[in-house]
Amino acid sequence: MTQLLLFNVTNGLIIGAFYVLMALGLSLILNLSNVINFAHGGFLVAGGYIAYSITPYVGFWGALLVAPLLTAAIGLAVERVLIRPLYGRDPLYGLLLTFGLAFIFEDGTRFIWGAQGKPVTIPAFLAQPLSDEFFFITGYRLFMVAMVAVSVALLFVLLRYTRLGIRIRAGTLDLETVAALGINVAMLRSLNFSVGVFLAGLSGVLAAGQLGLEPTMGSGLLMPSFIAIIVGGVGSLPGTWVDC
Amino acid sequence: MSSHRFSRNLSRRVVLKGAAALSGLQLASPFIIRARGETPLRIGMVDPLTGVYAAVAQNEVSGARLAVEQINAKGGILGRPIELLVEDSANDVGTGVQKTRKLIERDEVPFIIGDVNSGIAQAMAQVTAEKKTLHIVAGGHTDGITGKDCKWNVYRVCNTTRMEANSVSDLLFTKYGKKWHFVTPDYAFGHTLQEACAENLKKLGGTVTGNELTPLGTSDFSAYLIKARAAKPDVLLLLVQGSDMVNCLKQIVQFGIDKQIHVAGTQQELESLNALPPEARIGVWMFEWYWKQPNTPHLAEFVSDIRKRTGGKVPTARTWFGYTSMHSLALVANREKTIDSVKLARALGDFELPDEVKLQPNKCYYRKGDHQLMTSAFVGEALSKGAGDPEDLFRVYTIVAGDKTSPAVSETGCTLQWPA
Repeated sequence: MTQLLLFNVTNGLIIGAFYVLMALGLSLILNLSNVINFAHGGFLVAGGYIAYSITPYVGFWGALLVAPLLTAAIGLAVERVLIRPLYGRDPLYGLLLTFGLAFIFEDGTRFIWGAQGKPVTIPAFLAQPLSDEFFFITGYRLFMVAMVAVSVALLFVLLRYTRLGIRIRAGTLDLETVAALGINVAMLRSLNFSVGVFLAGLSGVLAAGQLGLEPTMGSGLLMPSFIAIIVGGVGSLPGTWVDC
Repeated sequence: MSSHRFSRNLSRRVVLKGAAALSGLQLASPFIIRARGETPLRIGMVDPLTGVYAAVAQNEVSGARLAVEQINAKGGILGRPIELLVEDSANDVGTGVQKTRKLIERDEVPFIIGDVNSGIAQAMAQVTAEKKTLHIVAGGHTDGITGKDCKWNVYRVCNTTRMEANSVSDLLFTKYGKKWHFVTPDYAFGHTLQEACAENLKKLGGTVTGNELTPLGTSDFSAYLIKARAAKPDVLLLLVQGSDMVNCLKQIVQFGIDKQIHVAGTQQELESLNALPPEARIGVWMFEWYWKQPNTPHLAEFVSDIRKRTGGKVPTARTWFGYTSMHSLALVANREKTIDSVKLARALGDFELPDEVKLQPNKCYYRKGDHQLMTSAFVGEALSKGAGDPEDLFRVYTIVAGDKTSPAVSETGCTLQWPA
């Protein structure tokens, strides 16, 4: 019984690590842009499917880098064309837009790649469990945790020590003052949105290796991330991280 | 000048002449009636085109569409071409019921096909019975549909969960062992399938070490698999379907559980095997229909026709379900020369499918007592890679006739109540 409890606690921490990436992306967008991004799961799915399509050309490791970047580019376009006109309006508009976008992403994925799930093969050395006793800790799961740790560290460095990060944090606290200081707020929001979507794309690639790909997978993975940002405190990145 | 001409053209006399001409046209009835006779006969199909069962649902629709083309090429139903109206139930009971009502009340379809999801199919059956509409459940397996909840107007093409359990239980018990642990989807289909397997196991003298009830759409099965492995069963039976089956099998292989416990199940589908990486295509299962059978008449034409329409993809059991459902309706309606639901429901009892529709070696017929199609079970094992064709992912050990896997009508709990 104790062993089973230990297994489940460790397992829960591994799963939680995955949701960190999703929840941090959501939280970043919510904090600066005031947009509850229901399409975040759609960006995750896009990241996974893009990785699936480019893996034959660039390999798994190449896809791990390129797919999130391409997803971030899609996010940038969506922000510029669809979300930007809604800034300053009731948050309900953004919520409705991204809710609709989530359906469009799901059906678009189904249209392009088909309804049937796609298998994603991960490097063989990551596919093995580390030991017979702790069989649920596979190389890939540890790799996911490591990727999350690296991503969180990089995000911390970005927000803490770079000019962009400082502006994002300042904008989160008081956007009007930041604008009054001559900072291009529209550009700041675009970059911030792209960073959030990049994290969603990265989550998609990691999830594809763990679960395979399926057009509806985004909605299933999105809900726990929403819970994390609500319980962790809306507007608090550390709270979101701890809660996951 | 132009104003004067306009006014003259629309004078009262002109309007009266026009009205008279229109009345004359209406009276020219032979022309109008012939046109009405060629009005398409609409048939409704409700399936979860979105959600975890989207892939299998779309294959059911593609099978039905092929059947519609073939039927229309031969004159349709009673000389009227068929128009297939497909609605998405979104894997939601409320939506499925709403779409069924819409098809019957607004589109006035005389026949309904659907749904993949057993819970939705059962709810739809309530509506079709209330509306006295002939209904074929193409791919919802839970026993009740042709068991204790059977209805005079509802027929089913796919196997019941009891038939599925009966087709593989003996083999799994003798080949793999007597302690079974289940991973079961937590809704009607999973519940009846698990009950049937557990009952068979008890009769054989085995024990159930546990039953993990998993919500539909579960992405991470690790917590359930940890419990299952701790129970130390001989066999881990996966009763989940669709993307749940894919996720569960992938994680079992990643955790190396398949090297310690035999992994098997009842119903397996080509859609799921296609979505798995080669190393996760493992286990003994039953298919409800398979595209590769030696010496089965008309099978090659069917496979070829589907491949032409799906970019080279072979038909799956789901494709055959949709195809058979549609052909069954057309065959019986043309034979009886009516679209009256009560007459056709009576006529479908003991109706035997011809070779070009059944596409399997055993006799295939709708049983009169419970309206269940006596269709075969294809028992065998998953293959990691197709030998001749990349989609040949299943080795069939044996094809068991529906009569052999199905319990007697008296054991199903079905009592048909016909309308007065």
